Amino acid sequence: MYNKDQIYVFINKALGFAAGYQAQVAVSSSAEGLSRIANSEIHQNVFEDRTSLAVTIIASHKTSSISTNVLSDEGIQAAVAEAIANLALLPDGEETMPLVSEPKEMETRRFSQELHDKFTVETRAQLVAEGLSSITEPYKAFGQLSYRRSASGMGNSAGIRRYSDGNSVRFTLLISDDLGGTGYANMSADSLDAVDMAGTFAIAKAKAEANKNPIELEPGAYTVILEPLAVNNLLGTMMRAFNGGMVNNKMSPLTDKIGEKVFSEKLTVVDDWTSPYSPGLAFDGEGTPRTKLTLIEQGVAKDLAYDQASAKKAGTTTTGHAGGGAGRRGGASPANVIVSPGEKTLAEIIAGTEKALLVTRFHYMNPVNMRQAILTGITRDGFFLVENGKITKAVRNMRFTESMLIAMNNIEEISSDRKRTGASFIPGMKINGFHFTGKTSFSDTGEE
Amino acid sequence: MLDLNQLQEKITQVLAFIKAQDGVEYADLRVNSIETESYSTENMKVQSLNASKNLGYGIRVYAQGSMGFAGSQDFTAMEETAKTALAIAKATQLTQKNPVKLSPKKVVKDHYQTPVEIDPFTISKEEKLALLFEAERLMREAAPELFRTHGTLTFRKERKTWADSDGSYIVQDLVESGGGIDAVAITRGEMQTRSYPNSSRGNFATAGFEFIKAMDLLGNAPRVGRECLELLKAEECPSGIFDLVIAPTQLTLQIHESVGHPIELDRVLGYEAGYAGTSFLDSVEPGKFRYGSEHVNIVADATAPGGLGTYGYDDDGIPAQRVEVITNGIFHNFISSRDTAGAVGSLSNGTARADGWGRIPIVRMSNINLLAGKYAFDELIAGIENGFYLDINRSWSIDDRRLNFQFACEIAYEIKNGKLTGKIYKNPIYTGITPVFWGSCDGVASQEHWRFFGTPNCGKGEPSQSAHCGHGSAPARFRGVKVGVADV
Repeated sequence: MYNKDQIYVFINKALGFAAGYQAQVAVSSSAEGLSRIANSEIHQNVFEDRTSLAVTIIASHKTSSISTNVLSDEGIQAAVAEAIANLALLPDGEETMPLVSEPKEMETRRFSQELHDKFTVETRAQLVAEGLSSITEPYKAFGQLSYRRSASGMGNSAGIRRYSDGNSVRFTLLISDDLGGTGYANMSADSLDAVDMAGTFAIAKAKAEANKNPIELEPGAYTVILEPLAVNNLLGTMMRAFNGGMVNNKMSPLTDKIGEKVFSEKLTVVDDWTSPYSPGLAFDGEGTPRTKLTLIEQGVAKDLAYDQASAKKAGTTTTGHAGGGAGRRGGASPANVIVSPGEKTLAEIIAGTEKALLVTRFHYMNPVNMRQAILTGITRDGFFLVENGKITKAVRNMRFTESMLIAMNNIEEISSDRKRTGASFIPGMKINGFHFTGKTSFSDTGEE
Repeated sequence: MLDLNQLQEKITQVLAFIKAQDGVEYADLRVNSIETESYSTENMKVQSLNASKNLGYGIRVYAQGSMGFAGSQDFTAMEETAKTALAIAKATQLTQKNPVKLSPKKVVKDHYQTPVEIDPFTISKEEKLALLFEAERLMREAAPELFRTHGTLTFRKERKTWADSDGSYIVQDLVESGGGIDAVAITRGEMQTRSYPNSSRGNFATAGFEFIKAMDLLGNAPRVGRECLELLKAEECPSGIFDLVIAPTQLTLQIHESVGHPIELDRVLGYEAGYAGTSFLDSVEPGKFRYGSEHVNIVADATAPGGLGTYGYDDDGIPAQRVEVITNGIFHNFISSRDTAGAVGSLSNGTARADGWGRIPIVRMSNINLLAGKYAFDELIAGIENGFYLDINRSWSIDDRRLNFQFACEIAYEIKNGKLTGKIYKNPIYTGITPVFWGSCDGVASQEHWRFFGTPNCGKGEPSQSAHCGHGSAPARFRGVKVGVADV
């Protein structure tokens, strides 16, 4: 992979070939090693070193983009020439967005040498081997441990340069017994002190051990206690609704609802790249400095995420949430989501609950009707009945179909303990009247 | 494109270098050179006109029963990349319990080319954009109240060069074309979409521009526009138990999710358990398990002309083939790669594919096709007293063992007393359990109704990969299916 100086050389070359045009160039470089685990051994072990360049040319209200990973002078020149040639084919667009011109230089550097030194291909295998030694029959481990290093740069003909780098470890682990009782835990870390392999093994194992002899429940409305991973599954999909362009296009469930109380007053969500809980980039894919967004304040839908184009259409200014990559139409979405905590820990919420279903995470979620925020998905890797403050039984997985506009209004409690999941920092939640619409019976599968 | 002679010499040299390293049993090297063009118009404006070029290689090394893989785009450092792959294979041995056994294969030297009548890259960009603009115009002319009209075209060509340390050398030139249109109508709190020829950017095939011409986007555009507005005024689809006829536009995803994925041998062996999931077929015996009714006949056919999952050889160097998956309702065969077939003592049936140079081949669907039955379409409809004909997928979800599924479609056409009444319903959803659902199939339409659809975005694997596969089917009838969730 390439460093800052090398990336800036590519950018400067491309901008040089595009002299006379408004142009933006982005270079993304990464190296990732990933060890995949199945049946308690590493079965796939891979490494990839990848760099690509995307050039966008803007002229006469037209925008044309090309991406390439052929980074020779000839390769870059050909990409720029094709992007320029394509301009002639395009009809006049709407108003051309001006290129970001200030500040001239910004960078976000989060590379940890300590983390880099620790996660070689050999030590990665050793860490997996150590963890696997805690797993005995009938349990087996599945998942992956990966280490990724990345560096990205962008520049434009208005003279700005942006650079970011970093590295991170991601570990996902599923423990299963020979009857299919599973438990799941994950970890992501961008510093060595945040790496906790043993803790992740312990959580997944404990869940798998509890996930035995599941009972079968009928579909219907239940009180649920969602662990942070399950909350993140729901909110991750819901965050698309805060795309300012979608709201302006009337395709978001928040259309005509901004400024109104849409969710429970217990819910406050911000997007904040400066937070130590969810560190992000200081700038977006267009080079605009990111601003902090208050997405939901005590249930009221407030700020939306904009890039330059969607902001212009909505008559406002960009919030610095443009996507990166080729083209300048990636749309804008919250990137560093932080949900405000409640007062009780998740354990205390469980202890204070008479009857509820505890969900570890959801699988294969998709919007059924995005305009009405109706999602469907199915529980996975730890679904339990809570009775009189205790987890009493495992439950056979069930399908939910529910509008988030309803579910996020039915929040009874939010946990004080939160978990970092990707670029989000998420608590658990207790939600009333959550609709499970399907079950998988023992009798109709041919299993068991 | 790469200079084939220079490339062959270099690949042969690198493979010899790898094979000479201590402990190396086998290695292969794959070079992917991929070019794409994509066009998108929206509301009579060009939304995007993008192109990409991607060139790199991946080296897979097997040493003492372990595999290591490294991918790079630096062709000046191929030996270094090979050493990285070998170091990874050696590190893998630390946790190894079951050495990899690759099923046997023959040494092959061959060249495969997608049959193409009109090279899509020779059609001017102006002509492609003009087609989309005209389709948009026709949708808007037929339905001026539409909120949004949209069209896409996508073209891809790939030269894939694969060689191994046994002496195989295979070059494949693969060409794909795809496109579609859709319309969106909105009122307060309600949004409806109608697409053609399918949702999710239309239809895709291994074919040239002749495939786009045959779609007849312009001929269908007015109907798409009109039906979109009609949907906005339609009643909500009722909930309950109904008999259904399902169109190929929806069956393609039904087959994909509830047959294609469960029959992947890597899922059965647990290789995907930590991510995409496993398969309910992990406890069944091929040849004995009843997957569906006697009307259900499904094949995995990598040789089917025009299928998006059609190729000459997989990325293990195994020839494309047609495999009987379900015959008269009985499950017979998984789809496999050399490592998964080796693990169960069988032969690979050639479905190992990677989505690019930086990823390893894993078991991927080729074309998983429901074979045509004997019924006229009207006969299927005539057999329903009270039910629906469902068209075009809108949403999908299935559990990690591929049993409990739920799909939403764009439109439900009412069937009463054996006839389509002309009444339509919006927001139809149906749900079921895989073998129960396929067991309820009591008729598949005949060959004249059989259609092929391509799915260019099948996600699987870590690091994630997006495969291109195909699904052919004819309308089929299913009895007693749960429709809707409003009554739960």
